[in-house]
Amino acid sequence: MKRPVAVVGVGQTHHSARRADVSIAGLVREAVDRALLDAGLEHKDIDAIVIGKAPDQLEGVMQPEQYLAGALGAHMKPLLRVHTAGSVGASTALAAVTHVASGLFERVLTVAFEKQSEGNAMWALSPSLPFTPPLVAGAGGFFAPYCRAYIAKTGAPPHIGPMIAVNARENAMRNQYAHLREPVTLEEVTESFMLWEPIRYLETCPSSDGAVAMVLASEEAAKQGPRKPAWVKAGYSYAEAMWVPGRDQVSPRAGRDCVKHVYETAGITDPWNQIDTAEIYVPFSWFEAMWLENLGFCEEGEGWKVVDRGDQKFGRHLPINPSGGVMCTNPIGASGMLRLGETALQVMGRAGEHQVEGCKTALGHAYGGGAQYFAIWIVGDEM
Amino acid sequence: MSQPPETPIKYIESAIRLPYHHVAGDYRARYLRALRDKKILGSRCAATGKVFVPPIMSAPHSFAPADEFVELADRGVVTTYCVVNIPVIGREVELPYVAASVALDGADISIFAMLQECKAEEARMGMRVEAVWKPDGERTGDHTDILYFRPTGEPDAPRASFINRL
Amino acid sequence: MSNLRNVAVVGFAQAPIVTRDLHRTSQDMLYPQVRRALDECGVSRDDIDYQVAGSSDYIDGRPFGFVMALDVMGSWPPRQDLHVEMDAAFAAYYAWLRMQAGDCDTAIVCGYGKSSEGDLDRVLNLQLDPFYFGAIGLDPVATSALQASAFMEHSKKSDHDFAAIAARNRAAGVRNPDALLREVADPEVLSESEWVTGPLRRGYMSPYGETAVCLVLAAEGKAEAMCDRPAWIHGLDQRIEMQNIGARNLATSAGAQLATQKALAMAGLTAVKDCDFVELSATNPAEEMILCQAMDIDPEEERPVINPSGGPMCGNPIMMTGLIRLGEVFRQLSGRAGDHAVAGAQRGLAHAASGHCLQQNLVFVCGSERRWT
Repeated sequence: MKRPVAVVGVGQTHHSARRADVSIAGLVREAVDRALLDAGLEHKDIDAIVIGKAPDQLEGVMQPEQYLAGALGAHMKPLLRVHTAGSVGASTALAAVTHVASGLFERVLTVAFEKQSEGNAMWALSPSLPFTPPLVAGAGGFFAPYCRAYIAKTGAPPHIGPMIAVNARENAMRNQYAHLREPVTLEEVTESFMLWEPIRYLETCPSSDGAVAMVLASEEAAKQGPRKPAWVKAGYSYAEAMWVPGRDQVSPRAGRDCVKHVYETAGITDPWNQIDTAEIYVPFSWFEAMWLENLGFCEEGEGWKVVDRGDQKFGRHLPINPSGGVMCTNPIGASGMLRLGETALQVMGRAGEHQVEGCKTALGHAYGGGAQYFAIWIVGDEM
Repeated sequence: MSQPPETPIKYIESAIRLPYHHVAGDYRARYLRALRDKKILGSRCAATGKVFVPPIMSAPHSFAPADEFVELADRGVVTTYCVVNIPVIGREVELPYVAASVALDGADISIFAMLQECKAEEARMGMRVEAVWKPDGERTGDHTDILYFRPTGEPDAPRASFINRL
Repeated sequence: MSNLRNVAVVGFAQAPIVTRDLHRTSQDMLYPQVRRALDECGVSRDDIDYQVAGSSDYIDGRPFGFVMALDVMGSWPPRQDLHVEMDAAFAAYYAWLRMQAGDCDTAIVCGYGKSSEGDLDRVLNLQLDPFYFGAIGLDPVATSALQASAFMEHSKKSDHDFAAIAARNRAAGVRNPDALLREVADPEVLSESEWVTGPLRRGYMSPYGETAVCLVLAAEGKAEAMCDRPAWIHGLDQRIEMQNIGARNLATSAGAQLATQKALAMAGLTAVKDCDFVELSATNPAEEMILCQAMDIDPEEERPVINPSGGPMCGNPIMMTGLIRLGEVFRQLSGRAGDHAVAGAQRGLAHAASGHCLQQNLVFVCGSERRWT
């Protein structure tokens, strides 16, 4: 990346099951307006817009960025629409970083959203591929067998998943924007309906309406801003093929390769100690343990132990998902950018109640597809 | 209508109905037709010899063509699975059911399949299973020609034999 | 403007456009084009730093449909990758930005999708906002017709003019082995074809088609070994306008005009007539005339030649139409345009469009020489 890129503003909506008070355009504007306000900028200051969201079938509007162009302030500006499945929010932010790093744009608005209450999310996520027997409803049905494989491989005790769920809700209580903010107990989680064993209802992400936006800026533009920005130290998006014989779906190689590249570029040699907090994409409880390993925060097989010890809780050694993460808020297209946006807020010292004290370096992560797409960045408080 | 409505219109409902006619592609079509004859076909990578089922034109790991068709057994091993408690759209099935990843003998990747004739709690990684076909005369060359997989009763496959075919 | 990095199109592979391929899925169609594009550049997949694709889930009829393309693009070991829900020309635009950012030196840009699988006019109705324009059932033919009608009113161009433009494109298509329509069309016959939605007749419309394409981009230093005559990108720009067709002046394309001005400026040119030819993503004669006006092209002049490939009116594979225009520019500049070559072509312009009534426009200006030294 040839030129420094900074995050100078972040805005998000109050996420909920159904934002019946706004249209799709209204939802997106809520996030955009907040991001611009945060950055001390107006629409006229924005040079390009990079927007991302998940399948358009979720809202029943094809390429909704076309309908939203006016609401985004994109009239007569360059606009790009990204779609990389679940990781899209993050890969969209990284595409916006590229826009600034190219030197062609000084300030880029990046937006990610999903207003999935408008369509039938379960239907949209259970594609009945032609000529293939429909097997499971919902994304969880696809991933649950790999959570089982992780448990079998590591011998993790069954309470780990529920612990992760309890902790996510505890974190969300400190995040005014989160969708699910009520605490749950270990008993409530363990007794909740088993959807796709081993994943229970309370270990699953909700279906949310929400949007998030950030303003990315060049070094010069960032220095003109009202606040201390978050600097993008490194960011990459990787993808791997699905039907590779022997593909590891518990710790996918694309994730490992992506984070390795990010660490190299950011100069991180000891993630466990050099990263102050991480927002990682955990739609189903067990992924928190799995991603701790995949991201190199601990040795293979040890992820569940980190959780068991509580080292990833708020206030402990490496707080994971202080925002509550995907398990508490999941507008699919936005979730990846929420991860990245939250890390920017953390290193800017503006995460409010869920601020990790002394946070200087944070990692944001998202994944999508059959665990094929990975988009990861690291932000720091210094250029 | 000369007056605006008393309460503002907040929502509109729009039902979307779109017909799609998908082409199976020759590789998938051949696989489906073979099901009528109780045959399961795969294709072999020209560079590495890995076998894919259903057959595909190119091998994703080698980027080489995979245009040699091979016949596979209709039995294999459960590599991993989950027990599902919510109904699946488009299919009538008793709950709970087991959705499994099955590595057929001779294949280097797994297929997804439903397990039946097996209590959910008895399902396990490494369990040997076989296809249960629709009876002769009822098969039409469609993926429903295989009704489900059931345990064969053979001893479980050793972990090393399937752990790379998840 | 300070020097940018010289980036060139060094390869382009396309299968002939067909109405419906009964034997291949979109992945089956894409794989041979990726192989061919790389083979023609003399490189392996591992030599390519970046992959980016453009396609649409709604056209594929599958949410997440694009994920399957990973398996035929050589995505192992894991690759740096992006997918845009746009014409693959915008994927090329993004790859170029990545090169400017110094993040890659080579890239493959893929386009795929089978428009035959769905009812495209019904699908594209969903691009319109669901409350007003979409709700009244406008499809792309109707919105194009509205624009054509506004243009005719403003320009005083006639049905006869439409027929002449359609016939000219069709005549060019005869010499393009990849076109879907490859027969000469008599303008008289075209002007008697039935109305689809007035003022657009069947004979003036672009037939939908499907194919798969792979275009290869490389930065200076890599491009030279991959192609004997690369098509260097001299300038590019893209602009979207608001969608509301009632709020725009449909007789013109302000976005295409601005994008062209910016692309020309980057290319160090003052006018499109400095190009030998243009490839426009015009799906009907009104669009072609609107774009010519926006780009200040005088169609009476010999140069630039307009749509030497026959353009979308000889075959419109929807999510790839724009990338094919860039591919055609490459063919012309690299001496690979065969029977439809523009003699002595040194500079060309490729245009891509997205959305109803030319809502979004992307312009590339390319040349046989490097732009920045």
